[in-house]
Order: sequence, then structure tokens, then C-alpha cells
Amino acid sequence: MNSLWWFALPVLLLPIWWHRKKRVQVKAEPLASARFLPRTEPRQMRVWRWSDVLLLIVRCLLLACAIAWLADPVFPWRGDTVVVAEGSDARWVEREVQAAGYGAAARLPLPAQEALGWIRTHEREFRPDARLLVLGDIPMPAALPQFRRLVMLRTQAEPIRPAETHVAIFSTRTPEWRRLFSALDGPLRVVVDARPGPKTELIVWDLPEAPPAGLRASLWWTTDTGAFTELAQSKAVAGIRYADGARGRVWASTAWPPGDPAAARALLDTWRELHYGPAPYTAPPLDFAAADAPARGYASGALRDFLLWGLVALFALERMLSHARRR
Amino acid sequence: MALTSSALLAHTTDLELVIRHVLAGLGQGVHAGRERGAGVEFSEYRAYAPGDEWRRVDWKLLARADRYYVREAERDSHVAVWLLLDASASMAEPSRAIRGLDKLGYARMLLACIAAIAQRQGDAFGLAVLSNGRLQFVPAARGPRQLQRILAKLQAVQADGALPDAETLKSGLRFAGSPSLIFAATDFLDWPSSLSEALVRLRHMRHDVRAACLQTDAEITGGFDSGPAYRDPEQETAVFRFGADLREDYLRNRARHFDTVNGTLRAHDVPLVNVQIEQPPGEVLRAWLRQGARR
Repeated sequence: MNSLWWFALPVLLLPIWWHRKKRVQVKAEPLASARFLPRTEPRQMRVWRWSDVLLLIVRCLLLACAIAWLADPVFPWRGDTVVVAEGSDARWVEREVQAAGYGAAARLPLPAQEALGWIRTHEREFRPDARLLVLGDIPMPAALPQFRRLVMLRTQAEPIRPAETHVAIFSTRTPEWRRLFSALDGPLRVVVDARPGPKTELIVWDLPEAPPAGLRASLWWTTDTGAFTELAQSKAVAGIRYADGARGRVWASTAWPPGDPAAARALLDTWRELHYGPAPYTAPPLDFAAADAPARGYASGALRDFLLWGLVALFALERMLSHARRR
Repeated sequence: MALTSSALLAHTTDLELVIRHVLAGLGQGVHAGRERGAGVEFSEYRAYAPGDEWRRVDWKLLARADRYYVREAERDSHVAVWLLLDASASMAEPSRAIRGLDKLGYARMLLACIAAIAQRQGDAFGLAVLSNGRLQFVPAARGPRQLQRILAKLQAVQADGALPDAETLKSGLRFAGSPSLIFAATDFLDWPSSLSEALVRLRHMRHDVRAACLQTDAEITGGFDSGPAYRDPEQETAVFRFGADLREDYLRNRARHFDTVNGTLRAHDVPLVNVQIEQPPGEVLRAWLRQGARR
């Protein structure tokens, strides 16, 4: 869409028109005995005469710069590139680069999550003959991306780092709750705090009275709906009622703590999926052939800063010159 | 080289050089002088000035004083020569045939030659330049210094503006005393004009008025380029056109104009010589000087 602004370039004709003055000139030679000749109408000559050429150039540049700023041009300056996901093993990266023959290519570190999306949006910055090699623990995209050039994807799965989450339990049935959390497998580990602190993400409120007003957490589990006034108008999904209140989100169910392993797994899985998301799945090695994918959603503003500075400088210059001309 | 051609003269601005060339074979004075030779009756010594004849240097005095002195003679002729130069804008009209030659340059040269002749004859001579609505005078005097003054003045003249008005000329051009010889160089394109009135008036005051009407070959034959538009240098308003279809009309208008000029001048006994500036100046000068003899 932005490139439609290039059609505004004929605006440059305006200053040219202003600065080109059409003067009517009578070119007549003196002739002493002209009085013996018949009079005639002055012959008019149309001449092009440029006034203030410097100012004209500056004004044209100013307009061209403004149009370029609007049109947001992209200069394809990137050649063969190796996109390396941040945190990748350096030795493995070197081996892959040499194996693929990208020794002379530029390295571009990017977050692994955004690497493929970044390449898609910044594709105009690459020269038409540029090839790309993407290395690292790149997660499998939901839909197979299409690129306008050859993109090779080589992946190495990183070991999943264990994560901790802090839980505070207020209950008369604390052992049952502890047993529930100790059954959690996978990279997520639960640390049960004796007192809720700032890192506490889940508070289990298994008491009949209302919790103190100052206590906050991103998620509350409660077995007593009377303790939380916001649950009065709440919705229920799969036997769990949920509501958002001043203390945080509240999940309530009278069937807790779960008595059988299946119910416990269902609760833990729901919690993990809704609050921590699925663990990324590393994509397999892939070669994306060049596809004639329609240009859509490209990144903008590659040259905008330069153009903006140029615009400001030219505007100042134009003001100074036109002021000096009036003097 | 006595009759040096106009084309050669157009190449120099040195009037003294021109005078020497033009007058080389002329050998004729402005009027019939009564005294012959220089210094019939000794009057005084004067310091030598460039232009003085070597034979008039007193060699005995040089031997005594180691300085050049010139013997001044009592040889006042009774004739004063006045040179009238029309330097209005129309006199800048160039010759369309010879590059670098224009009416003013030609008139300047003719008057310089006459001044030189007058100086050689021992006449007093002065100059009046009519230019840009003003009248500029060099008062009449004798001698080589006066010639230098006149030549410098002539050299500095630029063709510009119109003639001065009749009132200025009437108050300015009054040559009292003995009858003068008045040489007027103009183009007579303005007629009647303040200058024509002045010439007639001077003639009626018993001065010997001799007019030269300067014109170019192109003016006489109507040989202008039909390409450009033309304007009158003294009237900036209108634009004029020339073409082969207009030549007849042009020549007729011009002939009518100059018939009037000639008729009026003849009626007042003012001899007029028509000068084509492409002519060799020697011939022109001879014709102009002979006018008086014919009368």
C-alpha cells in the first residue's frame, strides 16, 4: 500500500513550475531609421528562465524525501545470511554453517520464537539471490511458512529448562494438596511456600472464611464459593467455576482436592495449559523452496529514521534559503 | 593610403593615427589663409608640447637652455572653427556592412581631421557635443594642446539620449565676434529639430555653416535584415518590422524626409554633404571642405 505513494512524485512538478518563469521578451535591435518603417506588434518570445535554482533543488528534494518517507522504501541490502537462534550451541552452529557452505554469510542472532516470522516480514531486505540458513532450537510453526527465496532450517532441540512455580496452601487438608502437587510431572516444579510471598502464583484457599484483603495472587483455588463474593455471578466450565476479582482470578470447585488420579491429572493439566502454555516443540530440519507467496504484512520503517532526519534538515534549509531570498 | 578605407579605420580608436593617415594626401586647408608658414612675426617662446612641428623648435635656445622651446608667431587668423557633433542615440547606428564602424565613430573621425587641419592653419577651434539632452562645450582656442583636448573630448563621447531642446541650443550656441566656420556632423533623422533650427539661426548670423548628413549603406538602399524586430533608439515605445515588401515604402518615406531636409537647408544657404559612412573618409573630407569654395 505504501508504495502507492510513489505515484505522488508528479508533485515535484509544482516547485519546478513555480521556479520557471515565463517571461515575455521583445527582442528588438536599435535601428536609427526605424521611423520610416511601419509599426508592428511586439513579437513575444517565451523563454525559460530559472529563478533560485538552489531553492528549487532543495524544495524538490524536500518533496521527494517526504514522498519517500510515506512510501517507506526498502533497500535490499542483505545477502546470504545465517539466522542463529539465541542461546544455540556455538560449536554445533559452526559445524552446520560449514556443512551447508555458508562460511562467508552474515550472522544474524534472533530469538528462536520469532526467527521464522522475522524472516517473513523482513524478506524485502534480502537481495533476490540471497539464501538463508536458520539454525537453533526453532519451534515448529503452526502453519508451514512460505518464503520467496530458499530458506534452510536446521534445528537442534535444547534440553527443556525446569521451571518453578510457588504455591501457598491455606487448608485443613494440606497433605492432600501437597500430594496433588507432587504428582505433577514435566519441567514445571511446584514449591510450596509456608507463607505467600511476591513470587506466589497460586494460593489454595480451602478455608470457610474469606481471605484477608491484602493477599493477592494471579490464581486462587477455593473449595468454598462463599469465601469469594465475585463467584456469585460466575460461569462454570467442566465443573470449575471461575471469576476475576480484585485479588486475582479465582477457580472454585466443591470436588477439590481431587480424590482420584484422573481428576487430579485433569486439574493439573488444565492449570498448566491455561497458565503456562504448552512446551514448544522443536521443528524438524526443513528446506523451504522459493515460493511465489504474496507480499503481505511486511515490516515497515527500515529507512524512516534516515528519511525523517533528511526531511528535517531539508525543511530547515528551505526555510533559511527562502528567508535569505526575501532579504 | 591617402584615402584610407572605412574598414581600416574601424579597427583603431587612436584618432591621431587616423588623422595622420587621412590627412596624409589631403594637403588642403579649411579656408584660404592669408599668412603662409609658421611664425612670420615673432611673438613669444612657449614650452614644447607633443604635436608641435620640429621646425618651429628654436635650436639655438635649446643649445643655451637645454630645453625645447617653440617660437610662437602672431598669426591669428580671423576665423574660428566650430565643430558640432550630434551624439544622440541614433548616431550609434552601425554600418551593416563593416563591423565595428558606426556613425558616431565616423563623425568623430571627420571632426578630428578638421580640428587637426584647423590647428595646422593656426585657427582657433572649439567643439560642441549634443548628447543626452545636454550641450557640452570645449571653448575655442589654438594650438596643439587644444587639439589634444578636442581629441580627448571626441574620444570620450558616447551616443546616448536625444538632442538638447531648442532653448538650450539657443542659449548655448552663440558664437559672437568674428564670423565662424561651423562644421556640423549629424544624421538629420529628426527634422525639424532643435539642431536644424540652430543651424539655420547660425547661418542667419552670418556664420559659414557646413553640414554633413551621415548615413549607412543599408539605410540608403534599404538593406536591413528582415529577421529581427527593430526599435527606434530615441523612442523606446514602438517596435518596427522590415521586410522585402516594405522596402519600397521605406525608400519612399526616407526620400521624402531627406528631400525636405535638403530643400530647407538649401533655402537657407546651408551646404549639406551626404556622407555614406562606408566611403573612404578622405574623399568625404575633401567634399566637405570644398563646399565653401563652391559657394
